[in-house]
Amino acid sequence: MTHIRRRPALALAATFTAFALAACSQGAGAPDGDASDADTEAPVTITVGNMPTTENPELRADFERKLDAFTEAHPNITIEPEETEWAADTWNALIAGGTMPTVISAPFTEIQSMIARGQVADVTDYLADSEVFSRLNPSVLAVAQAEDRTYAIPTSAWTMGLLYNRDLFEQAGLDPDAPPQTWDEVRTAAQAIDEQTEAQGFLTMTLDNTGGWVLTTMSYAFGSTLENEDATEATIVNDATTEVLDYYQQLRWEDETMGSNFLVNYDDAVQLFASGQVGMFVQGADNYTNMVVKNGMDPEHFGVAPLPQQPAGLGTLSGGNLAVFSPTATPEQLAAAVAWVEFRDFLKYTDEEVAVSEAEAAAADGVAVGEPALPVVDRDVYDQWLGWVEPYINVPRENYDLYLSTVEEVTLVPEPPAKAQELYNTLDAVVQGVLTRQDADIEQLLQTAQDSFQSALELG
Amino acid sequence: MAVTDTTVRAAVEPLTAPPRRRRHRSPATWARRGGLTTLLFFLPLLLSFGYFSWWPILRSLMLSLQQTNFITSTWVGLANFERVLADPLLGIAVWNTTYFSLLALVVGFPVPILTAVFLAEMRRTRGVASALAYLPVIIPPVVAVLLWKAFYNPGANGLFNTMLGWVGLGPLAWLNDPDLVIPSLVLYATWAGFGTGVIIYLATLMTIRTELYEAAEIDGARILRRFWHVTLPQMRGVLLIMLLLQLIGTFQTFTEPYIMTGGGPENGSLTILLLIYRYAFVAGDYGRATALSLLLAVALSLLSALYMWATRRWSTS
Repeated sequence: MTHIRRRPALALAATFTAFALAACSQGAGAPDGDASDADTEAPVTITVGNMPTTENPELRADFERKLDAFTEAHPNITIEPEETEWAADTWNALIAGGTMPTVISAPFTEIQSMIARGQVADVTDYLADSEVFSRLNPSVLAVAQAEDRTYAIPTSAWTMGLLYNRDLFEQAGLDPDAPPQTWDEVRTAAQAIDEQTEAQGFLTMTLDNTGGWVLTTMSYAFGSTLENEDATEATIVNDATTEVLDYYQQLRWEDETMGSNFLVNYDDAVQLFASGQVGMFVQGADNYTNMVVKNGMDPEHFGVAPLPQQPAGLGTLSGGNLAVFSPTATPEQLAAAVAWVEFRDFLKYTDEEVAVSEAEAAAADGVAVGEPALPVVDRDVYDQWLGWVEPYINVPRENYDLYLSTVEEVTLVPEPPAKAQELYNTLDAVVQGVLTRQDADIEQLLQTAQDSFQSALELG
Repeated sequence: MAVTDTTVRAAVEPLTAPPRRRRHRSPATWARRGGLTTLLFFLPLLLSFGYFSWWPILRSLMLSLQQTNFITSTWVGLANFERVLADPLLGIAVWNTTYFSLLALVVGFPVPILTAVFLAEMRRTRGVASALAYLPVIIPPVVAVLLWKAFYNPGANGLFNTMLGWVGLGPLAWLNDPDLVIPSLVLYATWAGFGTGVIIYLATLMTIRTELYEAAEIDGARILRRFWHVTLPQMRGVLLIMLLLQLIGTFQTFTEPYIMTGGGPENGSLTILLLIYRYAFVAGDYGRATALSLLLAVALSLLSALYMWATRRWSTS
């Protein structure tokens, strides 16, 4: 019997060896050549992520229209679109499996760690000849840079703001055109909404890192960051964050204006707000499409105000999306992918005809034109585009006067420099503690979070 | 009987004869005897198990000894295990998971047994009743979990709180209460899992010979004694294996806390699997995630071995 047993064992060993060798031979490596080697006339095929799913037919139609126009203008480039999107739990699998699209959209929060891990291509030289890329908003472009090299193209940007329901404001006897500008005013407005309407006055998210994300934003507005610039020390125990949690405690336990459910993630919050069950919450100011186009909120009910700042406030957290490129793409593929991003997101800023036709088609499909955002190009270029598309603007921009007139004055404070998601995750428990236990000891909660995150930073 | 020379020779010969030459099996012989066909049938199995089961296990072993971002990997020895064991969240996760498992055992294990015994007594409506009992299993887990999340709405108008209100109780914070969150999850898990248990126990009950009950009845045993002395001993093989499977299953609880509570409030429902998920997908630390996975696998193997040893006297096999 011995030999019978031995053979499968040998076969197994051989199989493992084969797999191990195959695995070792994979792995991302930098492609040979640079931008100057790229033959932009040669036939090339690229894969692009973020094709809208069929659940969003208007956005998908818009995407397909651009795809057809691009292919017509660049007959040598073949685009294979995918619905693949960046997600925290699939990104590393895309990298490990070598299936990252040539270009895909990723959030601001991730780009620095992607650069540090070598997971995205350096595209500095591919942007050099473009007129519009030389007019990018420098404070936004800085997010995509490291050591004077550019690793991504910012395609949309926003600041955190105070989203509020204008209809509920009216019902509560508040002026929707004069949103709260201090945290005391927010508290008063929350009390009024809670008393006068069926909705809860104020909400904060608490799950899937959103609790920590908003607590970080609020801490900036109250006067402190939660990590030093060198990413060597956690600074979670600070007066500003303690003040924010005191403020939460007052709204939750004294005023009772925060409802009864404190396990709320981003999707829950969006649904609650869009359906008129929540008066105000802190969120990215770019949520118009999410609330109105995707979740059916009445456009006139959507309100966004600048995030109130305490006297010691540092500014507001910014966010957005960037186009990132595969580190294994060839120079031709990178050149083609950059051309696609320019065509899809930036041609409208330099070509009036394109701007008008895109806006006309988008408006006809019900896609928002002119929603509140932080411009990714400089002010002159952005204003020029706004002038071109004015007849097609279908978003009531007058409702966001205060936000739009101050968006470029507010100091943008970047995300924590290292392990931002881990920090947010650690802080989720702090926020949950304050909102679910009346006797929560804020100092102790912050100290526990501080110790935990400090260990994470020290692990490198 | 005299011992003849022939007998002696016959007895000694095998010892003294030169050893028979071991037959050499050349690849050609092996192939002629059907080795190739065997290999052909064996290969798909080998490849599929190798690729989808054994290789990931080997890979996770390797990952647990590495620090990796899938671009470059560094061998770090047992550092990942040290970091996992030093994490204050590990103790919380182990406690929550153990509490969940024990509560699920106390609450969730007897319910399907008793339901099955009850159903076995029904004659006409057994089929319909068992189908109804099995119904929750048919609902996709994510849908069921989201449904229960709505039932657990902590507001006074939440479904469960409305029901409590009818008898003058509540409202309870359910998932929002650090003390109630695990019992709430166990309640859901019991509802979601008991249909499968009922069907298995019912099938076992149907195999118990009726003569045993008749004999017990003649001996004067009432319903409880019949259950204790006939039903339970006859079901013990299935009971023991179901208990082990439930233990292993509950120690690997993930879906319920992941969807319902995200491990909150204040890590009150953070389970071991959820901690593994956080290591991997929040911190991007696959080394720690696989190290904890292996520790869990080892702990469950030991638990299973201990359980098999402790219950060997009652086992039917």
